[in-house]
Amino acid sequence: MKKILPISNAIIAVISGVLVLLGYFFPGVFGNIQSILIGWAIILAAFALLLGIFNLALVHWKKAGSDGPNRIYSIVLLISLFFTIIVVSISGPSGSASLWIFNSFQVPVEISLLAVLAVVLVFAGARLLSRRPKWYTVLFLITVLIVLLGSVPLFFLGEVAPLIVVRNWLAQVPAVAGARGLLLGVALGTVATGLRILMGMDRPYGG
Amino acid sequence: MEQVLSLVNYSLSILFILLCLGLILFYFFSGRNRPKINLRDIQAFHHIRREVDLAVESGNRLHISLGRGNINDLQGGAAFIGLTILDRCAREASNSDRPPMTSSGDGVLTILSQDTLQSTYRSLAAEQRYDPTNARLTGLTPLAYAAGAIPIIHDEHVSANFFAGHLGTEIALLTEAGERSRSLTVAGTDSIHAQAVLYATSDEPLLGEELYAAGAYLGAGPMHIASLRMQDSLRWVLIAAIVIGAILKLLGILP
Repeated sequence: MKKILPISNAIIAVISGVLVLLGYFFPGVFGNIQSILIGWAIILAAFALLLGIFNLALVHWKKAGSDGPNRIYSIVLLISLFFTIIVVSISGPSGSASLWIFNSFQVPVEISLLAVLAVVLVFAGARLLSRRPKWYTVLFLITVLIVLLGSVPLFFLGEVAPLIVVRNWLAQVPAVAGARGLLLGVALGTVATGLRILMGMDRPYGG
Repeated sequence: MEQVLSLVNYSLSILFILLCLGLILFYFFSGRNRPKINLRDIQAFHHIRREVDLAVESGNRLHISLGRGNINDLQGGAAFIGLTILDRCAREASNSDRPPMTSSGDGVLTILSQDTLQSTYRSLAAEQRYDPTNARLTGLTPLAYAAGAIPIIHDEHVSANFFAGHLGTEIALLTEAGERSRSLTVAGTDSIHAQAVLYATSDEPLLGEELYAAGAYLGAGPMHIASLRMQDSLRWVLIAAIVIGAILKLLGILP
């Protein structure tokens, strides 16, 4: 059984993957079966989400029961999770109580983290020269500086036209060219990864 | 007219997929008898190998972040590379006191990472080492995911962090946590914005397609090497096409 299960997993995964791929190229023939398989995948993903939340609760239940210094955070998380599930179950996902929780807790905390992120990025930029003292690091920092200065009006000077011209050129020519090069590489990598899975050579499903 | 264009589009897509498939199979079969294939030197993968060995020796843990990509979408591709890295790290660190830990921001990825860990330990006849809480869902929104993964970096005796998956600019919070806990960060993602951030914040950033070469560099098998050679070949074809197109445009031949 231990040998049969991985093989059957692989066969099911490969056949499903090939049928979904064919559905994109021959929608008339394989379109229906593609929709059915994607529908099943969405339902399974919803159940996976529930299992993931159960995993999150289990991890923090263990932490809350330990003597670690940060157990209080796990207790807060468990209480918040329990409270949110109760409120959203009664009020519904778009009910006023659910939205109150979202707007009063989730949004402010995430905005605070965004502010921290901005500070972290500034410090990382300042540290970059000591981390990677190369000529292209200097080029990177100069480009960042020009783009920043060209994006906002400066004190006393207002908008500096040459800076805006350089900033627009940087954003529209070298940045787009570089981004497209990176995206082509990512696309080729994604195709290669997908084909390995379709051939059953990569089996991230325990096969 | 639209139908003809659509037909041409579909035909070209099928041809491209078949070309990729053909090249992978060609390189796979032609490379089987070659003793060694030289790969371009990428420092990040040397560091991954070294850190895995050091973590085993020092009794520390490796943290592999799979990001928050949905595998029903294009973003899932990068996460599958993360799963390959997880498999390799779990194998290499199977005799460590502290097994590798993964974090993800998607339910399916959490299940897949649990499954990868379990099947890796099963293949090593060490299934008793599998602990489902070593593969964790830490949050479902980008910042919630980052906030949930930071305690893993700080509290779980992590000596190295490998980020491989779909992550946005929130990755800076995670690399900063790695910096503060003095653990190495090797990171690659499919997001262009995050790659710019990684260049500034990560010890070893993997840019562009470098992330997708992880399997070949970490010894995941000849199929990974074959697919890497396919990527290299097609990249040269694309470069040639872009240069020729630019020249034709410059000469006014192309509209």
